[in-house]
Amino acid sequence: MAEKEKSTDESIPEAFPFIRGKTIDLCPRNSKYAKLYVKWKNDPKVRKYARNVVPRTLEQQKKRFEKKGERFRDHISLDIWHKKDNKPIGNLGLGHIDWINGWANAFLFIGEPEYWNKNIATEATELLVEYAFNELNLNKLQGGAAIENIGSWTVAKKIGFKLEGIQKHSMYVDGKYLDVKTHCLLKEDWLERKKE
Amino acid sequence: MKENKKIYSVPFLEGNKVDLCSINLEHVNLYTKWGNDPDVRKYSRNIIPWNLEGVKKWHEHQREGVKTNAMFEIWHKEDKKPIGTAGFSDINWFNRNANLYVVLGEPEYWGQDISPEVSKLLIDYGFKELNFHKIYVGIYSPNKRSLRTAEKIGFKYEATLREQIYIEGEYVDEIKFAIFKEDWLSSK
Repeated sequence: MAEKEKSTDESIPEAFPFIRGKTIDLCPRNSKYAKLYVKWKNDPKVRKYARNVVPRTLEQQKKRFEKKGERFRDHISLDIWHKKDNKPIGNLGLGHIDWINGWANAFLFIGEPEYWNKNIATEATELLVEYAFNELNLNKLQGGAAIENIGSWTVAKKIGFKLEGIQKHSMYVDGKYLDVKTHCLLKEDWLERKKE
Repeated sequence: MKENKKIYSVPFLEGNKVDLCSINLEHVNLYTKWGNDPDVRKYSRNIIPWNLEGVKKWHEHQREGVKTNAMFEIWHKEDKKPIGTAGFSDINWFNRNANLYVVLGEPEYWGQDISPEVSKLLIDYGFKELNFHKIYVGIYSPNKRSLRTAEKIGFKYEATLREQIYIEGEYVDEIKFAIFKEDWLSSK
């Protein structure tokens, strides 16, 4: 079996782990992977519930790296980096961060379908939740997914998210209107769970 | 006779003698005057001259996105005019703290308990609306008036940074005070 290539190899961009996990690390995005990000965004299987309905070009993806990163931002994005296979396999993060009201929207997708159903989303979400509560000092996380997106709320339940509400007909997917379940996790509930 | 432009300001936080209003670029002349006035800038540590264009530019280019400062104009209700600026700087949303400052630009309003009133309005705002955990101030040791005000309001001494600041030819201490949300809300 081929040896894991050294990170000094120019063709493999370096991963800079920001949060360490077991099977995966969470790393900042890297513009050298722009082609891969575009592939995920456009892949019909992946984008079905990620709601990317307009194709994204490589140029558009590269442009996203040109903006200067502010310290206090309303959107934080991290790559899910598979340690053993030494490559990024998906993306997660927080959007619509409302610092004053102390909450944010959590999002996640795994761009490579061969990594679905391996508990990776659960591990990644746990790392994200810990980061949001223990480092960013937020009070609540919210996540929304179409009811048909079974994978999403399975993960949510495992971590302790509770159903907050159902937004009727909030997504239009494959010619049908779907209801969206929103889940939320409060820091105090998360702390309770950790004690158990 | 020169046309008298009606000065108005929109109150954001209402007080007794003063209101705190949003910054009004029609008053940029006053902001520039206060920033340069030797008596006023002595303890606000403005050491470089401010020109009018620079002040305008600074206000116009306030950053997009999540703000790290909140600045207000102090409006004197009875005399119907702006008399200073105040607000929070260095807002840190992870650590939920910020630096409080008050600059009374018109010296004839010193010694009238206006600074404590402004500070209290801001502290209420910081804890009840901005969700801060801690509010701190840094006061220079020669500034006896402000040191007294800080304690009167309820700030507690935190630390002395020795010979931290160079004012008028000598090094002076900066004294740090702080107040916490629980203490403030339980004392009301």
